[in-house]
Amino acid sequence: MTDMADQLLAPNPVPTSARGSGTTRRGSLDTLLGPMPRYLLRRLGQSLLTVFLTLTTVFVLIRMAPGDPAYSLAGPLATTEDLARIRTDMGLDESVFVQYLKYLQGLLHLDLGTSYSFQAPALDVVLARLPYTITLAFAAILLTTVVAIPLGVWMARHADTRRELAANAVTIAGQSMPDFWTGLMLITVFAVLIPVLPPAGFTTWSSLILPTVTIAVLQVALISRMVRREMVGAFLSPYITVGRSRGVSERELIWRYSLRNSAIPVLTALGTRFASMLNGVVIVEVVFAWPGVGSLVVRALETRDYPLIQATVLVTAILAILVQLLVDLCYPLLDPRVRLGKGSGK
Amino acid sequence: MTGATTYVIEAPEQPRPSAVTDRDIARAGATRRGRDSRIKIWVGTISVLIVVAPVALARILPLPSPDATNLGARRLPPLTDGHLFGTDQLGRDLLARVLYGGQVSLVIGLLAVLVSGLIGLTLGALAGYRGGWTDTIVSRLLEAQLSLPLLMMLLLVVALFGASIPVITFVIAIAQWPEIARLTRSLTLVEREKPYIAAARVLGLGNIAILTRHIVPNIVKQVSLVVMLLLAQAVLLESALSYLGAGPQRPFATWGRIISDGQDYVTTSWWLVTLPGLVIALLVVGVNLLGDGLRDRTGGPRTGLLNLITLRRKDK
Repeated sequence: MTDMADQLLAPNPVPTSARGSGTTRRGSLDTLLGPMPRYLLRRLGQSLLTVFLTLTTVFVLIRMAPGDPAYSLAGPLATTEDLARIRTDMGLDESVFVQYLKYLQGLLHLDLGTSYSFQAPALDVVLARLPYTITLAFAAILLTTVVAIPLGVWMARHADTRRELAANAVTIAGQSMPDFWTGLMLITVFAVLIPVLPPAGFTTWSSLILPTVTIAVLQVALISRMVRREMVGAFLSPYITVGRSRGVSERELIWRYSLRNSAIPVLTALGTRFASMLNGVVIVEVVFAWPGVGSLVVRALETRDYPLIQATVLVTAILAILVQLLVDLCYPLLDPRVRLGKGSGK
Repeated sequence: MTGATTYVIEAPEQPRPSAVTDRDIARAGATRRGRDSRIKIWVGTISVLIVVAPVALARILPLPSPDATNLGARRLPPLTDGHLFGTDQLGRDLLARVLYGGQVSLVIGLLAVLVSGLIGLTLGALAGYRGGWTDTIVSRLLEAQLSLPLLMMLLLVVALFGASIPVITFVIAIAQWPEIARLTRSLTLVEREKPYIAAARVLGLGNIAILTRHIVPNIVKQVSLVVMLLLAQAVLLESALSYLGAGPQRPFATWGRIISDGQDYVTTSWWLVTLPGLVIALLVVGVNLLGDGLRDRTGGPRTGLLNLITLRRKDK
């Protein structure tokens, strides 16, 4: 009986079979076969364009900038001949347009040039660092989800009470602390005053704790406030009133009905945060000397290591776009009302 | 039925008790929200003033010069020898450095927010009002920027073009204009359909006059609230850039740089990092509280770093 009531009342819990028939009923054969692959193709096309534009922007910016990479590579003691030789080696003496064409050509073969400072293929250098950044980003997003969603639900349940005001103050504080400072404070407390955790680098798995917490402080603040807002909105929806009148338990109303209906914006936010973490949790990596992509970028920028910069941008942009795509593909699983490839391109 | 009588309803001698007691009203959600927003506005204003007033008055306050080194008085803890915040590794007064550095940080933040506000308001209003290809171009620009690795790009621009104050201001402004543009655009879309706009058009006003005299004044209040919240973000972003060494170069000691200079001594001299960070956090908390409270009160749009995404989804 409860199951039936659920299916009747909740807008969401539609069994898989019903979901399938819904699609067929709605559209012709074309929409049955068409939307998904076409949607994927269009999204991938857009993504490729974005990556291409990003790389071109970076290329143009680098060439526009004053300063000479050959000089920063050779150092102040280099002779004019040294500089000329380095420029020829790196192809810097050719016109910008030729350099751009060569660059695109290399891109097709996944050859982004040799990193000046590592003397190794730039792409390999980045890929070697990537697992560390992915580990950190994954741990951080996991911690954020585990803390922020219950906290947000709790805040929504106690909306506008004194207890919520206190929680609110905490989240606002979390949102307002500069992340590098939070990191340094955590190091001071947990690695210097009470030396229980390693302060920097990656030696043991416990090195993961402090950077993860540092990132999560800000993310938890943002996500929990969002969960709270979405949940308060869901509580006011008619289906909650109906569900309550049919005797659905309060716990089920919250965790199953409201949360599921609030899931899409929250998931979008989590996905975007995760994607931007892959773009380099630059600051936190620098604070904790984490051997990931973020600290690599800072070093590449300091030494004007152009191939390395471009390889980093390429890899992180692709990763971020893939994550976004995955998140978008999850929507129909959470909410069968969402049909990808329909009306989303406007 | 003879002699029509008129009944006069006497007012009750004592006001009838209402079912809604004062206690109920005090506990109602709206009352609580009102009270909370008042608390937020007050606490926010006070926190902002605690930071901004001394920073603005740094030149008047009896402080030692922020660059006066005294190698005999290195890394004195706070509250010794008249150094309220102690001294740094070169014996410079930390409070003076924080206050003078704050001037640079705040000026950059204000300028950046002003520039991004102007760009965002102009482009957003144009896109919302004109629609068509103007809207397409602006919206595509917004989306493109959202998919770029932002901090990396900012660092790249600063690294390539030099860390001067104009470059940093510009970079922060570029990072922030999409949020304002998106909000302005969606507000303009609503506003332009209202009857008074049609009336203005019938009266023969030009598009520019309608935009500047009618639409913008009606949305500027909500936009300025978000601009204020962005000021907090700008200060945070500037301090992050400074921390990474991409901030204004010496002799400007901005907050991020003071912290990054002090982090080498974090094991022995906690105040070098803790106190400047607390000042930043206090300012940003204040601005966020103030913005939160004002927004609760005006019922304005809930926009923040995250709501960018939701707004975008709703646009579609």
